[in-house]
Amino acid sequence: MSKKQVMLECIVALLIMLFLYASISKFLDFKTFIDQMNNQPLPNSWTPFLVWAIPGLEIAISLSLLFEYTRLLGLYASLILMILFTVYTGIILLHFFPYIPCSCGGVIQKLTWTQHLILNLSYVSLSLLGIILQRRHYTNQIFITNKHNLV
Amino acid sequence: MKKIKWTILTLAILSSIGGAFATRPHALVSGLYYFNGEGYLPAGTLGITYVCETSSNICTYTYSGGVYTPYQIQSNYTPILLTPTTKPAPKKDK
Repeated sequence: MSKKQVMLECIVALLIMLFLYASISKFLDFKTFIDQMNNQPLPNSWTPFLVWAIPGLEIAISLSLLFEYTRLLGLYASLILMILFTVYTGIILLHFFPYIPCSCGGVIQKLTWTQHLILNLSYVSLSLLGIILQRRHYTNQIFITNKHNLV
Repeated sequence: MKKIKWTILTLAILSSIGGAFATRPHALVSGLYYFNGEGYLPAGTLGITYVCETSSNICTYTYSGGVYTPYQIQSNYTPILLTPTTKPAPKKDK
């Protein structure tokens, strides 16, 4: 296993840890999660959809990252989701909404909004790096397969 | 090669599940309260009747055995109706 491949596996493991931890925590304390969603400066009518869509998407991404065939798709999905979270955090910090909600509850939620932004940006970078490494891995595999076919 | 890969991934899955259960908050026995400067009053429902805005104060407290313990910290209790809006009030024509 090359160094780059170990690095890719570590990136994927970090993404799975984040998404799986976040989704399970939400389901374990679902009532608090609903309250936290209502506390966000978004219309409360979105809450019934978001409380299922966000953790559902996080679990789906975690599963797709596990398997080789769906990993690149999972990496792109995690990049998009992390960009969306980062944009939302940025909007909050820019006082775009009428008020800044507290980020209270849970362990990750103990972070301030600025710390959230730094964490999100780190995960955006990790997803990007993961995509680059995974694409190179695919290219190498195709090259090796073609070489074998020629021989 | 696959052994290393699955060892890393299994560790990631187990630590995230274990971490989520380990940091699971205790279920609230009683409701939440807020301090209005004079005493503690029932807070209502978060996001429906009040919001917790970021600040250095304490938004809500739990009550147990005659003691109020801070619950939602680093935030301010704000009733929904008093939440300021970004939209300015329309100007009256002279």
